[in-house]
Amino acid sequence: MLRQKSLLLIWAGLQLSLLLLLQQAFAWWIISLFAVLLFYRVFALLRNNAAISLKWVNLLAGIIAVALLLNLRQAGVLHFMLQILLLAAVARLLALQHLYEARQLVWVHYFLIGCCFILHQDMAIAMLVLAVFLLNLYSHYRLFAPSGARLNWPQTGRSVLIILPLWLGMFLLFPRLPAFWQIPQANVAATGLGDSIDPGSIEKLVQDDSLAFRVEFDGALPPRQQLYWRARLYEDFDGRSWHISPLRRTAARYNAAPTGNDAAAAQLSYSVIAEASRQTGLFALATPNSVSGNLQLNSSGLVSANKPLSQRLSYQVKGTASPVLLLSAQEQQLNLATGSGNPATKQFAAELLQQYPQPAQLVAAIAEHFGNQAFYYSLTPPLLAGANSIDQFLFSSRSGFCSHYASATAVILRAAGIAARVVGGYQGGQWHPQQNYLAVRQREAHAWVEYLDNGVWQPFDPTAAVAPERVLNNLDDILPQEQRNLLNSGWRQLAFLQAARQQLMHLDYYWSVWVLGFDDNSQRNLWRQLIQQLPAIAASIAGILLLLLLIGGGYLLKRRAPAAVPPATMLLQRALHPVLQLKPPSQPLSVYLQQLAISQPQHREWLQQLSDVYEQAVYADKPQALMQLAALLKRRRLQIKQLRSSVKNT
Amino acid sequence: MPAITLKQRLYQHYLTFIRRYLDKRQPPADNVTLVQKLIFILPTRYGWWFVLLLGLLYLLGTNYQNNLILLLCYLLLSLFLLSIVLVYQNMSGLTMQCRTAAAGFAGETLQVTLQLSSAKPQLMLSFSFMQQQHTELMPLPATSLTLPLPAERRGKYSLPRIKISSQYPFGLWRAWSYVALAQDYWVYPHAEKMLQQADDNSTENSGAQAKAHSGDLLAPYRSGDSLRHMVWKRLARDPMNPVVRQQQFTPQAEPCWVVVPPATGEALERRLSHAAWQLLALEQSAQRYGLKLPGLTLAQSSGAAHLQRCLQELALC
Repeated sequence: MLRQKSLLLIWAGLQLSLLLLLQQAFAWWIISLFAVLLFYRVFALLRNNAAISLKWVNLLAGIIAVALLLNLRQAGVLHFMLQILLLAAVARLLALQHLYEARQLVWVHYFLIGCCFILHQDMAIAMLVLAVFLLNLYSHYRLFAPSGARLNWPQTGRSVLIILPLWLGMFLLFPRLPAFWQIPQANVAATGLGDSIDPGSIEKLVQDDSLAFRVEFDGALPPRQQLYWRARLYEDFDGRSWHISPLRRTAARYNAAPTGNDAAAAQLSYSVIAEASRQTGLFALATPNSVSGNLQLNSSGLVSANKPLSQRLSYQVKGTASPVLLLSAQEQQLNLATGSGNPATKQFAAELLQQYPQPAQLVAAIAEHFGNQAFYYSLTPPLLAGANSIDQFLFSSRSGFCSHYASATAVILRAAGIAARVVGGYQGGQWHPQQNYLAVRQREAHAWVEYLDNGVWQPFDPTAAVAPERVLNNLDDILPQEQRNLLNSGWRQLAFLQAARQQLMHLDYYWSVWVLGFDDNSQRNLWRQLIQQLPAIAASIAGILLLLLLIGGGYLLKRRAPAAVPPATMLLQRALHPVLQLKPPSQPLSVYLQQLAISQPQHREWLQQLSDVYEQAVYADKPQALMQLAALLKRRRLQIKQLRSSVKNT
Repeated sequence: MPAITLKQRLYQHYLTFIRRYLDKRQPPADNVTLVQKLIFILPTRYGWWFVLLLGLLYLLGTNYQNNLILLLCYLLLSLFLLSIVLVYQNMSGLTMQCRTAAAGFAGETLQVTLQLSSAKPQLMLSFSFMQQQHTELMPLPATSLTLPLPAERRGKYSLPRIKISSQYPFGLWRAWSYVALAQDYWVYPHAEKMLQQADDNSTENSGAQAKAHSGDLLAPYRSGDSLRHMVWKRLARDPMNPVVRQQQFTPQAEPCWVVVPPATGEALERRLSHAAWQLLALEQSAQRYGLKLPGLTLAQSSGAAHLQRCLQELALC
């Protein structure tokens, strides 16, 4: 019988935090149901009510499980699994009575904590999940510890010191396998650019300050005018909005060989960490030639993943800065349809074409038109209602956002018989020189135009003609104050919060590079480096071991060494070494010398002297006696030799 | 049923194998300290479940290509591995000995007292005799521990191996040790008065005995009363009111003899039981008594040591 109230409270709190962490996976009614059950449990605990009987809990859990099952289609398999797991945990807690049930509960908690990471990989939330994990670990410990036991901090510290290298070593070096099978993904709304673009769709994105992706360049940062991150091609125009062509969707499966191979163009090599967008579309500059991992590189220069991104993804791109090539005549045809309506625009296009027969000239003329006439760049343009929205924009409102300008330009070009399309993506980004990466947020979403000139899709950004600062600087810089306030609403205006947010973003960047982005590639690199450095590592380890041995040996020797030998004794021992070997260990040196003087009459005189001087040096501790001794030994070298041989003979 | 007997036979073989192995590994000693050689460690059932959890987390992390789940998995794995060391550390270093031989009558439960000592606190160690159900949790601080041991047949036995086991701190691994202490325990014959006095000459002056008992009076215990006169059975029923047996007449100075005539089998057992009962009664009435066994005679004396000596002879008979 389990009677530890504090443990039950810990588990109730833990399940509440799991409920919050997993709330993405739950409909509101499930969340409130679980919360009511948990709060009921907490109140019952605080009032010392007994646990609910197992029969009732089983009945309740059965009903909820059926309800969840009915909701399966809406929730998806993954969410259903999480719901059932949490339901099991909550029901178990409601009826918890025995120790073995508590163990099962802790086990399920561990699994649920692991599942939290499917939905969240942000550093802050990961830290929160870690805290929940530690709480669960503590309750696990308490289950097996005596009831009154406290954590033994020194032992815990030692355990952490052992675990850390073991843990990180396993993470860094344990072989990483590819996914074994296809797994259910969470049904979560996608973020970022949509499949269609109409006047106004990008404005909503621009108010979103969240990160879209981050880029690290192998070389120097390309100039800002080149930072057009292509993500989507909008080629179907219905007179008002642009859509991704259905042909493109099916054609995306057939990968042609990378086309743009202009030797003169600058080579680009960079790695992108894309946030979880729940979309397959990814980002690349100009013409990518190769991408890492199992990503698809489409012939029109777009990169896409095989399945919607449910978590951060890191990939490398190599490519050139040259524009994309035309694929086929079909593609050209596709991009000439002007749709119905907008007669004024078509007329304007016809006039321009007469003046400027060359596409490049025509485009320059459009840019000039936007620049010279009273066109405004605004986040809050008037609503363009009605059938001829392009006419309305070009000839009356004249105030709009990048999607307005791109859309209008593409329609003019198409009306003039030049194949053109709207490209959706991101422009620019914020460069962090210290951390050496470019952060691109959703607010940098942008739309521009590609027109066909000599079989090459030349990019053209009409917004740059209206508001060149938009391309060269940040969005904030070019908007008037009230529009900027629209972007930086509320707390975002506080400077220190901004700075803190920035620091957190950098931290999050390292987190995603080192922790989330660590894959088999990085692991192979690590192994390679380890192997390369192996001699150095072995040498340093051997050096450290040797040093430790020396220190230990020296310490032992010092401890073993007898009390300091007087210098006079050492002197005598060195000079008379073979003779002194015959001395019994218990006999003092001077006594032995006198004995020798008696037994060796021919040496008596100097041996007597030696004994006297030695006693003087050792017992009276006179420095001059020591010197005298040394001199005497030196003087009597010959006699010592004779003595040695005569002693040996006897 | 043959299946069960086969199972039992296999179990017997297993037990003898284990015994032989343990005897080789740790012969009985007076003083045993738990060291690496004596401690066995294997995962518990919960430990295996934990391994399953690790496998599931690894699958989840690999299939989602999710480093955080893998990190969690490896963290739990290193915890799992570390707890081998922790469970060992918790158990090692415990020193135990059994200084006095336990003694009791057949059919009773003996209390075996172990002396424990350790340099560090050791948590959640449970003690039991091998093949006995009852387990005792080690108290803190560890000084001594009393383990019950059921006594069935009279005789002198060596103490069975003591099983010490612990799952602290996470219940993932069980460390256990079978310790053999070089100590004996005595099981005296069950003390019971023989009902039919078929061979009445088993005690000389048994009439005096009977008379002595019939003349007993019970009186409340006062300090100074001899403990030998305590009515123990009654004390067990009502510990607040101790009662002593007071004798109305002066005890006979004349010594008496308890005689066990030669017999075998059930008859011998009955006589030994009766003799044990007699010895207890004589000791309680503070008489001098001696014991005559086939082939052995213990001189007349009295006192606890003498009683113990006599009972031991009965146990060995």
